[in-house]
Amino acid sequence: MSGATVELRGVTKRYGSTLAVDELSFTVPAGRICVLVGPSGCGKTTSLRMMNRLIEPTSGEILIDGQNVLHEDPVALRRRIGYVIQQVGLFPHETVAANIATVPQLLGWSRDRIRARVDELLALIGLDRNMKERYPAQLSGGERQRVGVARAMAAEPPLMLMDEPFGAVDPIVRNRLQDEFLNLQRTLGITVIFVTHDIDEAIKLGDRVAVMRTGKLVQYSPPAELLAHPADDFVAQFVGHDRALKRLGLLTVGGIELDRTIDRSRLGAAPTLSPSTSVRDALAALLVADARAAAVVDGSNYLGAITLPAIGRMLRGDDAK
Amino acid sequence: MTPNEPLVRWDWLASHAGEIGFRVGEHLELTAIAVAVGLVVAFALSFAVLRIPRLYPPVTTVTGILYTIPSLALFAFLVPYTGLSVLTAEIGLVSYTLLILIRNIVNGIRSVPSDVRDAAQGMGYTPRQILWRIELPLALAVIFAGIRIATITTIGLVTVTALIGEGGLGYFILLGMQELFSTPLLVGAVGSILFAIAADSALVLLQRALTPWARVR
Ligand SMILES: Nc1ncnc2c1ncn2[C@@H]1O[C@H](COP(=O)(O)OP(=O)(O)OP(=O)(O)O)[C@@H](O)[C@H]1O
Ligand SMILES: [Mg+2]
Repeated sequence: MSGATVELRGVTKRYGSTLAVDELSFTVPAGRICVLVGPSGCGKTTSLRMMNRLIEPTSGEILIDGQNVLHEDPVALRRRIGYVIQQVGLFPHETVAANIATVPQLLGWSRDRIRARVDELLALIGLDRNMKERYPAQLSGGERQRVGVARAMAAEPPLMLMDEPFGAVDPIVRNRLQDEFLNLQRTLGITVIFVTHDIDEAIKLGDRVAVMRTGKLVQYSPPAELLAHPADDFVAQFVGHDRALKRLGLLTVGGIELDRTIDRSRLGAAPTLSPSTSVRDALAALLVADARAAAVVDGSNYLGAITLPAIGRMLRGDDAK
Repeated sequence: MTPNEPLVRWDWLASHAGEIGFRVGEHLELTAIAVAVGLVVAFALSFAVLRIPRLYPPVTTVTGILYTIPSLALFAFLVPYTGLSVLTAEIGLVSYTLLILIRNIVNGIRSVPSDVRDAAQGMGYTPRQILWRIELPLALAVIFAGIRIATITTIGLVTVTALIGEGGLGYFILLGMQELFSTPLLVGAVGSILFAIAADSALVLLQRALTPWARVR
């Protein structure tokens, strides 16, 4: 399975006198996650649902791999696109296995192929195989959301539309689901358009983040860029006053320039960090240990030191790309 | 009734066993035809209403009026046209099932959660597949509630059709009243109650078998 390219050109949706979506244009490269983010009512769901023609645009074009979706049969189109709706919407009268098998069944896959695919997906989303015969009412909220994601992925769609798929679970479970989802997406290489109103989720998951306000696209950039250079006051306020700190969360100590002039022997009591530690966590470790520098160590290999002044420079944006 | 007569004469029961069996069969047949035909008509009208919502008020008004006509009056009105026949009986019986069946079918389908319908559409179900695979199964509990009430009502009303020469167990009620003889009266009344209880229990079992997801939790 690999990803599809999605391009929106001047897409507009009008309901009477209200513009739900206003001249939306952006391109999502194949295999990337694009997150639509913005306050409630800004047109995220409407934008998403125009991509699989659950809503017809008033004007504009939507191209998937260069094909205008408005010229395709909506039913066939929807079977090629994975869709996770805002309220999960599992079929209460069908078992977990039958729910996951929905699209393969519509596409007429053989029973054996469907059974194998369901088992594969259960393993992928980390659900026990004996949950197959359960009904949605017998699952926890987190399990239901996983099944919703598995159902959307079942027929190996090159594109998934996900509307706040992790909205209804507590922050700890949400974090885990996000990590698992990221892993999965990276492995499969599918394109994802992901809707959320949570800026932290957008920053964590997005390769690109599209910030919307009252139907308009106000900024479309990678998350680091969004945090470093918000396009206007609205975006700056939306990403939060702690945007500098959030940006540190995107960087790992292995991915920044370390101070190699400090010898390992001078860092005896200082914390040691692995390269995958985020700079934000490194800062926390330094503050807790009341140290000015920490050693970054890959196995037994000393890579260099990360220092408080260096982190300070990053926070001030001196390093901004 | 004659004063020395016992309430139930068991020898009468024994000597009329064959006839009782026949009337039970007739009662079952009249009820089954009425509910089956009622369901077909009600589903057809319900699908029309679901497609064209403004048909709902006139449909409920007409079936509501049918429901309020006293059964005796309705049969008396029909006899000049359709005679003393099964057809007359069934026209009456079917009309009484419609209101309750249509109301439950339409409301059952309308009460299917919109997120479920939405997900089905988003996965690529056609409108017809949504109706048959999503809406009807999920409306089944409400539809069955309607079928149960319609069935019990029909079983009671079948006894009235004895007056136009049908009636199933109602035949014995009529006989008991005409001859002032309590045994057949009781056979007719108690038999029809027992039949209603049995039919209702069978419907409950059928519903449970058809809706396994409702049993979990
Ligand atoms: N069917 C409709 N008729 C009229 N207005 C609509 C309709 N659907 C959506 N809208 C309006 O369009 C705007 C965008 O709605 P949309 O559902 O896309 O918002 P959203 O960004 O997904 O919000 P949320 O975060 O609350 O889910 C809202 O102002 C909404 O009131
Ligand atoms: Mg929404």
